[in-house]
Amino acid sequence: MLKIILRRFLIAIPQLVGISLMTFALIQLTPGNFFDTLKLDPQISPQTIERYEKMYHLNEPWVNQYWAWLKNLFQGDLGYSFFYKVQVSSIIGSRLFNTFILALASFLLTWFVAIPLGIWAAVHRNRFIDRLIQLFSYIALSTPSFFLGMILLFVFSQIGGLPLGGMHSPDYEDLSWGGKVFDLLKHLLIPTLAISVGSIGALQRIMRGNMLEVLRHQYILAARAKGLPEHRVIYHHALRNAINPLITLLGYEFSGLLSGAALVEIICSWPGLGSLMLTAVRSKDLYLVMASMMMGGILFLIGNLIADILLVIADPRIRYD
Amino acid sequence: MNLPREIHSFLRIFLVFVFLLVPSVFVLAEGVSPHHGGQLVLATTSDPKSFNAITAKETSTTLVTSYMFEGLTRVNGVTMQVEPHLAESWEVSEDGLTWTFHLRDDVQWFDGQPLTADDVVFTFQDLIFNDQIPNSARDIFTIDGKIFNVGKVDDHTVKFILPFKFAPFLWGMTQEILPRHVLKAAVEKGEFNFTWGIDTPPGKIIGTGPYRLVRYNPGERLVFERNPHYWKKSSEGDQLPYIEKIVYLIIQNVDVGLLKFLDGEVDSVSLRGIDYPLVKPREQEGNFTIYETGPDFGTNFITFNQNSGKNPKTEESFVSPYKLAWFTNVHFRQAVAYAIDKKKIIEIVMNGLGTPQSSSMSPSSGFFYNPDVHDYEYDLDKAREILKREGFVDHNQDGILEDLEGHPLEFNLYTNSGATDRVQMAGIIRHDLQAIGMKVNFLPIEFNNLVKKLTADFDWDAIIIGLTGGVEPHFGKNVWSSDGGLHMWFPNQAAPATEWEKRIDEIFSQGVQELDPVRRKGLYDEFQVIVSEQLPVIYTVLGNTVYAVRNKFGNLHPTSYGGIFHNLEEIYIKENYK
Amino acid sequence: MTKVEKPLSQFQIALQGFRRNRMAMACFWILVFFYLGAIFADFLSPYSFEMEDRDYSYCPPTKIHIFDEHGKFVWPYVFAMNLTFDDFHRRVYHEDSEKKYPLKFLMKAEKYRFLGVIPSQHHLWGVDSPGRIYLLGGDSRGRDLFSRILHGARISLSIGLIGVIISFSLGLIIGGIAGFYGGKIDEILMRVCEMIMMVPGFYLLLALRAAVPDNFNSVQVYFSIILILSFIGWAGLARIIRGMCLSLRTRDYVLAAKAMGLSDFQIIIKHILPHTLSYSIIAIMLSIPGYILGESGLSLLGLGIVDPYASWGNMLSEAMSIVHIRFAPWILWPGFLILVTVMCFNIIGDALRDCLDPKWKGAKE
Repeated sequence: MLKIILRRFLIAIPQLVGISLMTFALIQLTPGNFFDTLKLDPQISPQTIERYEKMYHLNEPWVNQYWAWLKNLFQGDLGYSFFYKVQVSSIIGSRLFNTFILALASFLLTWFVAIPLGIWAAVHRNRFIDRLIQLFSYIALSTPSFFLGMILLFVFSQIGGLPLGGMHSPDYEDLSWGGKVFDLLKHLLIPTLAISVGSIGALQRIMRGNMLEVLRHQYILAARAKGLPEHRVIYHHALRNAINPLITLLGYEFSGLLSGAALVEIICSWPGLGSLMLTAVRSKDLYLVMASMMMGGILFLIGNLIADILLVIADPRIRYD
Repeated sequence: MNLPREIHSFLRIFLVFVFLLVPSVFVLAEGVSPHHGGQLVLATTSDPKSFNAITAKETSTTLVTSYMFEGLTRVNGVTMQVEPHLAESWEVSEDGLTWTFHLRDDVQWFDGQPLTADDVVFTFQDLIFNDQIPNSARDIFTIDGKIFNVGKVDDHTVKFILPFKFAPFLWGMTQEILPRHVLKAAVEKGEFNFTWGIDTPPGKIIGTGPYRLVRYNPGERLVFERNPHYWKKSSEGDQLPYIEKIVYLIIQNVDVGLLKFLDGEVDSVSLRGIDYPLVKPREQEGNFTIYETGPDFGTNFITFNQNSGKNPKTEESFVSPYKLAWFTNVHFRQAVAYAIDKKKIIEIVMNGLGTPQSSSMSPSSGFFYNPDVHDYEYDLDKAREILKREGFVDHNQDGILEDLEGHPLEFNLYTNSGATDRVQMAGIIRHDLQAIGMKVNFLPIEFNNLVKKLTADFDWDAIIIGLTGGVEPHFGKNVWSSDGGLHMWFPNQAAPATEWEKRIDEIFSQGVQELDPVRRKGLYDEFQVIVSEQLPVIYTVLGNTVYAVRNKFGNLHPTSYGGIFHNLEEIYIKENYK
Repeated sequence: MTKVEKPLSQFQIALQGFRRNRMAMACFWILVFFYLGAIFADFLSPYSFEMEDRDYSYCPPTKIHIFDEHGKFVWPYVFAMNLTFDDFHRRVYHEDSEKKYPLKFLMKAEKYRFLGVIPSQHHLWGVDSPGRIYLLGGDSRGRDLFSRILHGARISLSIGLIGVIISFSLGLIIGGIAGFYGGKIDEILMRVCEMIMMVPGFYLLLALRAAVPDNFNSVQVYFSIILILSFIGWAGLARIIRGMCLSLRTRDYVLAAKAMGLSDFQIIIKHILPHTLSYSIIAIMLSIPGYILGESGLSLLGLGIVDPYASWGNMLSEAMSIVHIRFAPWILWPGFLILVTVMCFNIIGDALRDCLDPKWKGAKE
C-alpha cells in the first residue's frame, strides 16, 4: 500500500514538472507576454521591475526563469500576481477552497444519485422505467453545463425560493453555525445541479452496464439457484463487483469536475478557481496561471490516490506490489 | 386615459424636480424621521485591484476607496457644484494664485489620530508629486512641467501657491487625503506602490470617510461598517452616517446581479437598456423605483491610429505608411462617421434607452456642453461619395475599395471582448463599413491587451473603446492634449502633429488659466467643435443611466452625475420598511 | 433451389445489430440530415449569414399564412412586420396587412458560391425583399436565425469531425507505438498522456487559447481552435488504442507476421491497427461531442468564432442572458441543436459499442 502511494508520487513529480513547463511555454514564450509590456506601463516603477526581475530572474534566459520559479515553489513561494499586485498564495487559497467545496458537492451528488439509479435501471432492464432513465440520461449528458446553469437560474428566478448565484448571503457573518451551513447549502444547489446532471447521466450508464455484466455471471445464477432472495443477490453479491471498476474512474472524475465547474462558476458567480483562472489566463498573469494549473494537477493526483486506497479496501483481492 | 407623451415626461420631470427641492416635506408627510441602522447591499462586477487611493486607476478600486477617503472639497451630486468637505472654508488671493484652506478641526482618522495640515502636505508633496509614485492626479496638477507649492501654516491651515492660474482648482481639491502617520514609513522605504494591496488586513486601511472596510473575501464580498466617529452631522444634529453596514457582493455575471435585485437580495442595480423591459413591469410588485437620470458620462467611440512613430526596438512603423495615410485623412474619418447608424445602435444595443453623441462632452455635463457641433447623420451614400472623391475605388470588383496605390482598404478593428454591448456595437459598425467597401477584421480582445495596445504597443489600426467623462473639461487633458498618455490616436507627442491638435493644446492651457466662466466656456466650446470636425475620435452613442432602487431609503436624490448614493452618509433606511 | 449463404463478417453482423436499434438509426438519420444541411447551407437558407435587417431585431418567427383575409385557402404568404416599442421598452411586432409577400421557391436572391465553387443566386425558398421570412425568428441585429443556424452548422459540425481526425491520428500513432513496443517506450508515452489528462481540460483549453496571437483572422482562429481541441483530446484516445494493441500484439497472427520478418511499422499498420477499427469508430463517436461542447464553451467566453461568422456556440452565447430567454426564447435554438447533435453522437456511439462488442466498457476507462 505504502509502496503504491510512493510510486504514484515518484511518477507524478516529473509529470507535474512537465505540466508546469508546458504552461510556462504557453504563457511566457508566446508573443504578448506580460513582462515586456509591464516595462512600458507607467504605473509600475523601474524599481519594481528591477525587483521582480531579480526575484524571478526575469531578465535571464527562460531556462533560468523557469528554474527560479521551481526553486521558489519548493520554498513555498508561488510567485507574484502582476494583475492583482499581491502574492499568488494570498489569492489562490480561498478560491481553491471554494472550488473544492463545489466539486465535492457535485461529486457526492453524482455518485449518490447515479449509482442507485444505475442499479435500478439494470434491475428493471428494458422496462419502461429503464427506458425513461436512459432517455433522460442522454439528454442530461448532452446538455452543456453552463447552458443548464443559466436555465436553472432563469427557472428559479421565476419560482423563487433559492438564492440566485453567489456563495453566501449578505448577512452570512451574522448567522449561527447551523444557519451558515444551511445558507451555504442553499447557494450550492443550483451550481451543483448544473455540474452534476451531466455526470449523473454518464455515470448512471456506466453503472448500469457494469451491473448488467455482473448479473450475467455464473455466481449470480448460482446464488439465485440457491434460492437466495433477489435483493440479497443484487445488493450483496452483484453490487460490489459492479462498483469496483467504477472506483478507478474516480480520479479522472475529480479533475473533470474542476473543468466542468469552471464555466458554471462563471455563470453562477461562484468565487472559485475557474473564474480566477479565466482572468489569469486572459491577462497572461504567469505565476497565477502556473499555480492554478498545478493545483488542478495535484487535485487529480489526490483523487487518484483516494481511488487506489478505496479499491484496496473494497476488493481485498487486489494487492499492489 | 392615454396622456400625450410630452405631458407624461413633463409630469415625470416635474415630480423629480419637486422631490429634489423639498425632500424634507416628503419626509414629514410620511411621518418617518431619519434614524441609524440597517444595511445596504450592492453588487459590483469585479474585485478591487488595490486599496490604494493614489495609485488606483480603475473603477473597481475607486469604488472601494471612495467610501474611506475624502478630499478637502467635494462635488455635490445634484448641483454639480463644489462644496466644502474636509476644509470648512478657503480664501483665494486677488491674482488667483494663492489658496488658503482651513481644515475642520473635528476630523479623525479611523485610528483616532486627528487630521492635520501635515496630512494634506504629505498627500501632495510626498505622494502626488513624488516621481516614484505613478498616479494620474499629477498629470492634472502639472502644467508646462510646473507643480504647486503646498505648505503648512498651522495645524489646520494649508496654503497652496500655484505657479499659474488654475480654474478648476477647487474641483481638483476633491483629491483624497491620506494619513501621514500611517504611510510615511512606507514612502521613505520606497514601498508605497505596494502598500495597501488587496492582501492588506482591512483594519490597516486608515481613512476619514463615513465607512471603513471591515472584511474582504476575494471574489465574493466587501463589507463596510459605519465610522462612528465620522465628523459630519445632519442639519438636525444627528451623527452621520445613518446606515450601519454596506455589503458589496462581487458578482461577475451581470445577469446574476440583476436576478439578485429582483429577488430582493440586492438593494439597487444599474440597469442596462436591455434589462429595462424585464425590470420595469415589476416596479410595483417588487417595491422598487426606477430612476432615469439622463445620458450617461461613459462614452463609446471609434478611433483610428494616427501614430507616425516607429517601434524603437524593431525600427518598424507602428502603422504601415499607406494605412497611416488613410487614417490621417480627415475625409476618410468623416466617411466612417457617416456610416455609423446611431439610431439603430441605440435601438438594438440599448433597447432605445440611449442618446446619440456628437460632442465630446456629455449632454449631462451641463455648463460646458456644447450642442452646436458638427453632426454626421447616418448616410451610406454620402460616405461612399466621400471615399470616391478621395480616390478610393473598387478597381477589381471584389467589393473592397482600393486606394490610389492599389492597396485594398482593409484594417483590423479591436474592442474589448468582455463588453457585450461594445462588441455588438462593433458588429453593427463593421457591417456598415463593409457596405461602403471597407474590409474590416473585427477582433475582440481582452481589455488589458487592448489597453496595452493603446498605451504601450501602438500596433493597432482602429479601436472601439470608451472613456468615463466628467463635468470639468480640463480633467480630460490627458486625452486631448497632444502630449497626453491617453491621446489615443497619437499619444505622447513631442510637438503637436497637426494644426488642430496644436489649437486644442492651446485651448487646454488657456482654459485652465481662464477664471472668467463665460470666456472659459467659449474656449471649450471651440474645442468641441474642432473635435467634431477633425474626428480624432468618432462618437457613437451614450447609454441613458437607469437605476432601480428598492423603496427603502430616505434622502435619496439620484442624478446622472452622482448616481444613486452620492450623498450616502445622509441616506437612511425608512422605519416602515420591512 | 438452394443458395449457399455467404457467412457474414463480424462487421456485417454488427451492422445488422445496429440497424435493428431504432433509436440509434433515428439519430443516425438526424445527423445525416444536419450534415447535409450544413453542406448545402447556402442553397437551403433564404439569406446569407451576414444579411441583416435592423428593423427586424429580435423579430419572432415569421407566421406563414395559408388563408387570406376572407378565410380562403391560398398560396402561402407572409406579411411585413412593423416594430414598435411599448411603454416598458419591449419590442412589439405587428403584421403590416398592406404588405403581402408570397412564399417563393427556387428564387433568385443574394449571390453565393455553391459548395464554395459554383457561383449561384438561387435559394431554395424565400420571399421577395423587403419582405422577410425568418422561420426561427431574428437575432439582435435582425439576422435570420434559420440561415445562421445552417451556416453555423458548417463550423460547429466540422470542428468535431476535423478535430477528431487530427487527435485520432495522433492517438493512433502514439497509442500504437506504445502498445506494440511496450516496456520503456510505453511507460514514457503513457506518462505523457497522463500528464495531459491530469490538467483540468478547461484550464488547458484556456491556456492554449491564450497562446493564439491576437491578430489572427477568423479562419486562423477556426483552425487554431480545432488544433487546441485536438491537442486536449488525443491523450484519451491514445490510451485506449494502446490498451488494445497491448492485447493484440501477443496474438498468433501478429507473432506469425513477426516470424515472417515484416517490419514493425508494417505490422502495426497492417495487422494491429485494423483490428482496432471497430473500437476506434466507437471512440470517435463518443469523443466528437467534446469538440462541439468545447467550441461552445470557448464562444461563451468570447474566445471562439467571432462575429459576423456564425457558429452554434457563438449564437448560443448571445442567448445566454435572462432577458433574452424571457423575451426572445427562439434565440435558444442553437443550444437545442447542440444538445440534439451531442445526444445523437452519444447514442450512436453506445449502440455501436453494444453491437460491436458487448463486453467493451467504454472510452472512459
